[in-house]
Amino acid sequence: MSNKILTLLLFFSISLSGCASSSQQVSDVSTLEKYNRAMFSFNNKVDKYVVRPVAKGYKAVTNKYIRTRVSNFFNNIDEPVSAANHILQGEFGGTGTNLSRFVINTTLGVAGLFDVATSLGVQKDKTSFDETMATWCIPDGPFVVLPVIGPGTPRSVVGFVADGYSSPAYWVAHEGNDDAMSAYYWAVGLKYVNLMAENITFLESLEEGSIDYYEAVKSAYLQNRGRLKKCVKKDDVTETPNFDFDMDEMDYN
Amino acid sequence: MKKIFIYVLVFFSIIQSGFADINKEKAVLMIENLTKEGIEDIINSNVSVEDKNKVFRKLFTENLDLDFIGKYVLGRYWRQANLSQQKEFIALYKEFNVKTWSKRFDEFKGKEFVFKGTTPSSNPNQVFVNTEVPVGDGKPASVKWRVSDKGGKLKVIDIIIENVSLAQTARNEYTAFISKSPKGIEGLLENLRQKVE
Repeated sequence: MSNKILTLLLFFSISLSGCASSSQQVSDVSTLEKYNRAMFSFNNKVDKYVVRPVAKGYKAVTNKYIRTRVSNFFNNIDEPVSAANHILQGEFGGTGTNLSRFVINTTLGVAGLFDVATSLGVQKDKTSFDETMATWCIPDGPFVVLPVIGPGTPRSVVGFVADGYSSPAYWVAHEGNDDAMSAYYWAVGLKYVNLMAENITFLESLEEGSIDYYEAVKSAYLQNRGRLKKCVKKDDVTETPNFDFDMDEMDYN
Repeated sequence: MKKIFIYVLVFFSIIQSGFADINKEKAVLMIENLTKEGIEDIINSNVSVEDKNKVFRKLFTENLDLDFIGKYVLGRYWRQANLSQQKEFIALYKEFNVKTWSKRFDEFKGKEFVFKGTTPSSNPNQVFVNTEVPVGDGKPASVKWRVSDKGGKLKVIDIIIENVSLAQTARNEYTAFISKSPKGIEGLLENLRQKVE
């Protein structure tokens, strides 16, 4: 699974309003699961008959070079959002990195089309409001599947919306006329299609290799959220990685 | 007295060797060879799909402990299954994985794994070999290989990609399927039989 897939999953995140209690975290209750499965099935049909054909068409008329420029452009627009979130997380070094990258790529990188900053050794350090809330110890909530958008949690949705509204691209469009706002929505659509086009083969192989695609996506999505920064409490001790769960041969002999 | 001391020493050294910690360097070397053969020599080569699958099957079954992974993914249902169901499941699980993974490895085409040392596991017999793979223009993806020492022979028992454990994901998926299937384990076997056909 690539980073882009994970970004894709996060990108899809939108949710129910409000945050769930911590006791609901990670597992969804049976009534919610019934809804989730029904919505997942609906999304799959939308994906199969609308999204994938569009993404395949886009992939057919573009090459890797163009798709990389598109993805660089959107990544560059997101740098100020990461910079603001790094401030909220108290990580000012990260803010400096994001702003340096934004200035370098916007100027030398021709409006962000080329990632000159990485070539100069200023590596990506992306973060989000979802991650900011994680560092503030705000619980994630249950797994939910939203119409068209896909898998998420209440916290990921709040983060997604907050990041969207704090994006400079949104505010530039918002301050402009209707055409500017339409252009913004087309750009968001392009970002989504570009992301799908880059990951379509992987998604198809994931579905083909699953016996319960919903459960596979849910499990992978929730595990992947473990990579987000966590809040540090006084009693916390250094832990082994959370994927270091017990896999003892003796259990199965 | 001296003899007893030597016997005791020998006894403890035998005990020690039975529970020896995994050799990290060997584990790294094993994954280096696996990625080199799997990615560079198979995926990147221009051999036919049939030949690729053939070599991949050999590589996959030799380096991955699919018997153990199969047992692990069935979770509590492993003990509920009868011997014949257990045997059939392992055989189908192996077949299904070889089939799907040879396709999934195509994702790594043209890419080279960068080795980033090891991380100890809570089990001294196991170690995580950390690698990274460049993905497009983004940050490299983290791929961790959980390697276990099976009486001197090293085997991969899990692959963790960007914090997602494939063994854990499969376990969640398979156990959820069995719990929802009216036929239980038999329902899973029927599904797998269709998939590997």
